[in-house]
Amino acid sequence: MTITETSKIGIAILSLYGTLDALSAPELRNNRSIIDPEKTVVIDLQQVDFIDSSGIGAIVSASRQKRQPSGGIVLACMNDRVRKVFEITNAQKLFHIFDDTTAAVDFASSRQSASA
Amino acid sequence: MKTILAFRESEYAWVHEKFPCVHPLLLPLCNKPFIEFLIDFAILAGSSAVRILCDGGLGEVERYCEDGSRWGIDLSYASIHPDDSIHAMLGKNRKFCGEERVMIVSGFSFIRYDKRYDYKSFVSSMPPGEWSTCPGGRITLTGVPTKAVPDWLIADLSLMPLDSMTSYYQASMETLKTGESRYVLPGYGDEPECAFGRNVVISKSVEIRKPVSIGNNVQLLGNAIIGPSAIIGSNVIIDRESSVESSIVFDNTYIGEHLEIIGRIASGNRLNDPKSGASIAMEDPHLLSGIKKNRHLRSLPRKIVHACVALVIIAAFFIPFIILWPLLKLGGHWKSSPASFLAERTDETMPLAKVEVDASGAAAAIAVALSLDRYFRLFRVVTGQLALIGSTPLLAGESRPDAPAYVPAYLPGVFSYAEAEEWAATGGDATIVERFHLAHSNPLTDIGLVIKAFINRFQEKSTI
Repeated sequence: MTITETSKIGIAILSLYGTLDALSAPELRNNRSIIDPEKTVVIDLQQVDFIDSSGIGAIVSASRQKRQPSGGIVLACMNDRVRKVFEITNAQKLFHIFDDTTAAVDFASSRQSASA
Repeated sequence: MKTILAFRESEYAWVHEKFPCVHPLLLPLCNKPFIEFLIDFAILAGSSAVRILCDGGLGEVERYCEDGSRWGIDLSYASIHPDDSIHAMLGKNRKFCGEERVMIVSGFSFIRYDKRYDYKSFVSSMPPGEWSTCPGGRITLTGVPTKAVPDWLIADLSLMPLDSMTSYYQASMETLKTGESRYVLPGYGDEPECAFGRNVVISKSVEIRKPVSIGNNVQLLGNAIIGPSAIIGSNVIIDRESSVESSIVFDNTYIGEHLEIIGRIASGNRLNDPKSGASIAMEDPHLLSGIKKNRHLRSLPRKIVHACVALVIIAAFFIPFIILWPLLKLGGHWKSSPASFLAERTDETMPLAKVEVDASGAAAAIAVALSLDRYFRLFRVVTGQLALIGSTPLLAGESRPDAPAYVPAYLPGVFSYAEAEEWAATGGDATIVERFHLAHSNPLTDIGLVIKAFINRFQEKSTI
């Protein structure tokens, strides 16, 4: 899996490419923006072609590390394959999910400034 | 124009309770799933794309509706948070909405529309804001109108909340009575107020009293009286000399001989009274029963593999168990208490012993590390009552959102999938892993996961 990190108005955007499974989940878990409890992160899942329980586990545990568990990690551009896995596991209830990265960044930014 | 259909699990929780065999959005109204009425309305209003939003599972709905090509529209699905406002929903679906006018139908309510009206012109000329509301439901328009409102234009519309079995029954009966004139309804028939599906076998002596709606693959046997106001689903058998009047019979239901179903909703082996909300389960399959595919046959390979592996484990750990169990039992380190757990089938329970081993001594530590506390449960795998690996057995009598009636899969096991994973096997996290594996695992991967669970338990207990 490849992780590309960009930043917009102080919000880190992690774009994931490829497979998010037990092998690649530690890479996401150990990402600097993910580890930082103060940092709000938008994860773009558009290019994720496979995700398993370890992948979901990595995203769930990332949100648990944040100061704001429901708003610290915002998901964007979830494709159908990923959405179905989130739905089966009922993990979609834990996150705010956007179909557009810009909207996700706007939301994350408003959450961050509200909590500041 | 585009349409968003938004639902929250809390709005249709009563459907899960009363009709667990059907997804609430596919709840049939006059033999047509509820969601289809909303899609029809969205099309009448001029929508080219519809997005269904829900904070619960949409798997069954997606399998039924697919990508919407059946209706000539683009149908997509997305998740919402239970407390999202309409503004938040629009933000989360910004890409879908684009710059176009959007109609948001939110809430689990039935739209009383009339297909003869020109809703397309009406919607494109209406100002933004709320169009219609009812308790728990509303239709909202966003964006600027593209046309001016012609004076002559009328588009009658109202919302009816579907918040109980009573309102569901009323909506169904109303739809049956107004019938084809207002809605697009399934079925064929030369006469008005009489719609039949495919492969309906009617004996000569059967009496049909209008209005009726009958689904596909239905058998009506000798001297049965159907109607007035009867909605019979698909794959239904009405046996000899029974009558169904002012009632709804769900799909896959068998109505026995000499029965009178008046003002009731029959679903599987349950008979519901829509007025009081009371329901009783018929234990006698000759009176009322569900007709369903044999689930046991589909799960047979998994059960065989699990039973074989359980036998191997029983044989392998027989000697340590026969030595350690009496020692621990006599020493007071092995405590066992009976408890009732939820079984794989909804509404059924099974007794299981809760074993607690005080791992203070060396013998107890070995017993715990070898998972001997689960030894007795392995015999339940051989008899098919438990899976070797599956969900963590849930205690009966507790009202829990992850109880079998609410979740797509629940398979109590000796070991749980959460124990096979390395990340914290607690509460919601454990449930997530279990649901993932219940949907994706097969008998062979189960063997690998059993070994993983066993090793994880061994490492965890041996480090304690």
